[in-house]
Order: sequence, then structure tokens, then C-alpha cells
Amino acid sequence: MKKDTKIKNLIVYIFLIIMSIVSVFPFFWMIVGMTNKSVDIIKGKLTFGNALIENFNNLFSNYEVGRIIINSFKISLTIVIGSLLISSMAAYGFEFYPSKIREKIYAILLATMMIPFAALMVPLFRLMVAFNLLDSHWGVILPMLPSVFLIFFFRQSFKLYPKEIIMAARVDGASELRIFLSIVFPSMKSTYAAAAIYSFMTSWNSYLWPLIVLQSDEQKTMTLLVSTLSSGYNPDFGVIMTTVVLATLPMIIVFFGLQKYFVQGILGSVKQ
Amino acid sequence: MKRVISIAIVSLVILSLVLVGGVYSGNVTKAATKEGKITIWAWDPNFNIAIMNEASNRYKKINPKVKFEIANMAKADVEQKLNTVLASGVKTGLPEIVLIEDYNAQKYLTSYPGAFADLTKHFNYKDFAQYKVSLMTLKGKVYGVPFDSGVVGWFYRSDYFSKAGFKANDLINITWDKFIEMGKIIKQKTGKYMVGFDPYDGGLMRIMLQSAGRWYFDKNGKVDIANNPVLKEALISYKKVVDSGIAKKVSGWNQWVASFNNGEVASVVTGVWIIGSIKAEKSQSGKWAVAPVPRLNIKGSVNASNLGGSSWYVLQNSKYRDIAIDFLKQIYAKDIDFYQKILIERGAVGTYLPAQKGKAYTASDPFFGGQKIFVHFSNWMKNIPSVNYGLYTYEADSAIMAVMPDVYSGKLSVDAALKKAEEQFKNKVGQ
Repeated sequence: MKKDTKIKNLIVYIFLIIMSIVSVFPFFWMIVGMTNKSVDIIKGKLTFGNALIENFNNLFSNYEVGRIIINSFKISLTIVIGSLLISSMAAYGFEFYPSKIREKIYAILLATMMIPFAALMVPLFRLMVAFNLLDSHWGVILPMLPSVFLIFFFRQSFKLYPKEIIMAARVDGASELRIFLSIVFPSMKSTYAAAAIYSFMTSWNSYLWPLIVLQSDEQKTMTLLVSTLSSGYNPDFGVIMTTVVLATLPMIIVFFGLQKYFVQGILGSVKQ
Repeated sequence: MKRVISIAIVSLVILSLVLVGGVYSGNVTKAATKEGKITIWAWDPNFNIAIMNEASNRYKKINPKVKFEIANMAKADVEQKLNTVLASGVKTGLPEIVLIEDYNAQKYLTSYPGAFADLTKHFNYKDFAQYKVSLMTLKGKVYGVPFDSGVVGWFYRSDYFSKAGFKANDLINITWDKFIEMGKIIKQKTGKYMVGFDPYDGGLMRIMLQSAGRWYFDKNGKVDIANNPVLKEALISYKKVVDSGIAKKVSGWNQWVASFNNGEVASVVTGVWIIGSIKAEKSQSGKWAVAPVPRLNIKGSVNASNLGGSSWYVLQNSKYRDIAIDFLKQIYAKDIDFYQKILIERGAVGTYLPAQKGKAYTASDPFFGGQKIFVHFSNWMKNIPSVNYGLYTYEADSAIMAVMPDVYSGKLSVDAALKKAEEQFKNKVGQ
């Protein structure tokens, strides 16, 4: 019996080790690639090279990477703050304001998640032209602020929230905004953290919509830079790998910074 | 003394009149009245973008009041943006000039009538390679300015070939059958594969088709797959290449490039734009040479073909359309020195024929063992047969490639495979 579990454990560990190698490999390759020349990367070299400085030089002398990173941060952070605020308030409303038609509206809202973005793109583009928001960061940010998924995510969390506390606060005469900001918000930190990671990742990685709205090179974001670099008859893979590492770093930092809350937050909304 | 002074004064006046007259006549006056900003969308920073930068700098000397904004995007991004903006029907948000890949030209011209400026009267199209002009012509009107050529060459490792006992002359004007035979000998004598080959990539198929002046579509743009003898021969050749064992199987672009950078294969058959990737492996300098592409074993096939290439188009509703046309005219249809520079610096083979007598085109290249490679490419370019790329080259390509596994395994005969591919294609595009 004991032997059996040992063998089982061994198999499990071997499987896990293989899987972790498989999942870590792209990161490893990316970092190794950053230090190698394009021609070596194509040949499949998997050891560290000495082209790191050259790659950085090529990247920074040909593109305004600093400004592009700032653009990406500006867009992503605005979207994170805005969409967390809007979605959590909307979810709060859906959960704590009883009304006859709220479930119907909520269902319609959820149904809109089924519409692919590509179908909305042309009308949305016309809208942005009408608002004169073409080639501006607000043109990217505004359509991405409302997120049905985040409303759903927050509402699931609010379902666990004891309604009595809110009732009590109302009886004590607190305004709805005060209840939300000083009672609900502080006690839902983990949910906000999880939502922030999700929102940051989607906005940092968003590609299609910024591509359509942003026209000039000054407004570009990291994803557009990566895509620009990867095309061409003779792409420089060393530079691409360097850019990809730079583009991935903020996400990794955000994730590890908020990881502790992330698990709690996900559990909070799934536990139901 | 007085006389001397008066002569001096008179001649000064005359000289200044001549100078002023020179400045205010001709191009400069005209140019001085033109102001504006030309926006250009293109892809590939090291190629198209760099070349457009060079072109714009040259134009700024003719017309200093014009500004340029050259947006660098991925090719798929340019297409996505162009499609969205054109489909939305708004007149803002479009550039003055856009780069379009030749295979997609007809699709854009037919899908968005009126979107692109008719340039027929602005350019002398006899000065450009004819196969390029025909692919941007719709109903007798020409809508683009031909840019780079994808003229195909057979790049080979002269060291491997001579080791196997072949001389440069043995490679001239041969058929694909002979190519495969030679490949077997190379494999036997040097242990190297003849080519790196992705069995599911349609590039070589397109090279073969165009060499015989046929395509997946007929001259009127109607689908021509099931009963296309050239396509049939191309499929047979694909199978022969796979069966003969002369090809190192690769998957995707990177593995393919690695196959020749590594020295694992003896040759590469593809567009002239590959030179940059070949030259990237500096240790192989002097070991390469170039020969004409093999032809199909079918009547009408020539030892010249094309793969890829793109051209410039002017948007009809753009704000500074006329300046944009003038810009393209002054540089791309006039400036011979410009074409020399982009050839040397970027390896860009233009399709403007008068430029091809220039210095750069006739220089010998030490990487290719001192061969004057561009003289050859220019000659082959003139022989490339014109075809109609139709609206759905890539869709047809993928329909064919979808049946290839069954052709390789022998499950489907070539005829049956073509029939199946045509059906699948028609289902896909709804024809």
C-alpha cells in the first residue's frame, strides 16, 4: 500500500516537473533570446549570448520605447481605475437595489458578452470619428471602461456580502456613496485586487482596438510595437525578444504584487 | 574706369535676374505653392518604411513645404485598419498613401470602388514591369504605383554544387524534374538536402503557377482550380519533391530560414527579397550564387517567376491626394539614383525599368562570389508572365494546401484533390 502511494507520488511529481518545464520554457527562451543575435535565435540557440546591449541599443535607437511604455501605462492604469470603479458600482447596484426588471437587464448585459468585438468595431470606429477621438488615448480608453465580465465578477462577490451591514448603515443614515466607499470598498480588497489584475492584463495586452483608433507613431502602445517589429521580410528576433520581455515585465510585477489577494478574490467570487 | 563699373553693375543685374528667374520658374515655383502633410501606412521598418523615409527626404528637397508622417505597422495591421476605415465609410482617418500586397490588390480595388485614386494618366506605365502593372489594373484603369519586385531566383551554395560535380551552366533553364534529379545527386555526394521545404506552404506553388502564366483564377478572375493543367503539374511536382527525399521538411518561416543559415540545404528557391536573410549568415559569404528558377514540364512555362511584392496606392478621398501623387511621380517614376540607393542599402529591387541600367544594378556582389546578381534579376523580371491574382489568392492557397496531405499519402489522386479543393474553396468564399 505504502509503495503504491510512493509510486503514485513519483508519477505525479514527474508529471508536474515536465509540465512546469513546458510552461516556463517560453519565458526562458524569451530571456535567452534577448541576449542573442537574430540569426542565432533562428538557428535555435538556447544558451545565453552576448548581444544584450546590442539588442537594447537597436530597440531604443530606432523606437521611442520610453514614450511607448508610458502610453501603455497611461491607457492601462486609466482603464483599471475607471473600470473597477464603474463595474463595482454597477455590480453594487445590481445586488443591493432590488427592482423587478433588474435580472432582465442583467441577463441582457450578460448576453452582450456573446457579441464578438470584431462585429462592433466598424460602428465603434464611426462613433469615435464623430466624437473626434481618433488618434487619441481617450478613444482607446472610453470603449474599454465598461466591462460586463467585471460587473459579473463583482456581483458574485457582493452576493457573499452580509446585507444586514448595509441595512444597518442605511438605518444609521449613511448615504449610499458613503456606504459604498467606507464600508463595502475596504472590505472587498481582495476582489478589487483580482479584478485589477484581470483589467490590467486585458488593457495592457489589448491590441485590435488601439490598432484601429491610434494612427500616429507617438500614440502607439507596447502591443502595437511588438506587432510592428514582428512583421517584415527580415525580422530582428533579438530585438523582438527584448521588446517582449519589456512588455511582459509590468504584467509579471502587477501579478506578483497582487498575487496574495488574487487567490482570495477568485475564491470569494467562486465559492458561492 | 566708369565703363568697367557700369559693365560690372549691368552684369550683376543680369546675373541676379537670371538667378531669380531660375528660382521662380519651373518646378520650384509650383512646389512652393504646395503645402501639406502626407501620411503613409506601410509595414517592415527595415524595408518599406526605410525606403519611404529615403523617398520622403528626397521629395523634401524638391518641395520643402511638404511634411511626411510614415506610420510603421505590421502588414496584417495595415490591412485590418484599411478594411475597418474603408468599411466604416467615413472619410477621415485614412492616409494619403498605403502599401498593399500585390496578391490583395484586386480584392481592395473591387471591394471598395472609388476608394483609390485612378492614376492611369499620371504615370507612364510602360516604364514599369508589365506583370506588376496588370495586377493593379481594373477595368482598364491603373490604380497603383508599382514598387518592389518578388522576382524569383534559385539561390544555391556553389561550394556544395561543385562538390557534387555541377557547374553554374548546368543550372540554367532547367525543369523541376531536372532539379529533383540534381537534388538526388547532391544528397548522395554531399549529404545535404537540396532545399528546405514546408510541404504545407503554397509559396512554391505560386512560383510554379506564375512561371506558366496561370493562377488559381482565370484572366477574368473566375476560379480555375479543378481543370487547371498548370496547377495539376504543380501539385505533381510538390509530391515529387516530397517523395524524392531531396527536401528537408521544415515548418514555418523560421525553420525554413534556419535551414539555409545552418548550411543544411544546398539551395533556396524564392523571391529576391530573401537576400537579406541569406546574407545574415556572414560566414557563408562567397559561397552562394544565383540561377534562374526551374520551369514546369509544361508548354508555356518560362524560367522566370514572382513571389510576393507590393505597391503604393493613393486614397481618393485623402486630403493631400495631389501632392501624394506628385511625390510618387517625382521619386518612384523619375529618380533613378533613388532606386540605386534602395537596392544597395535595402536590397529592394524596384520595378521601374529605366532605373535598372544604373550602377547598383550592374555591380558585382562578393557574397555571391562576385556574380552580378541584379543584372540577372532585372532580366528575369522582364520575362515574368502576367496573371490575374483575383480576389482570393490566400483562400485558394489554403484550400489547395488542405488537400495536400491526402495527395502526399496517396489517398487522393491529383485530379480528385483539385476537384475537392475547388469545392472547398467555393464553399468558403460563397461562389
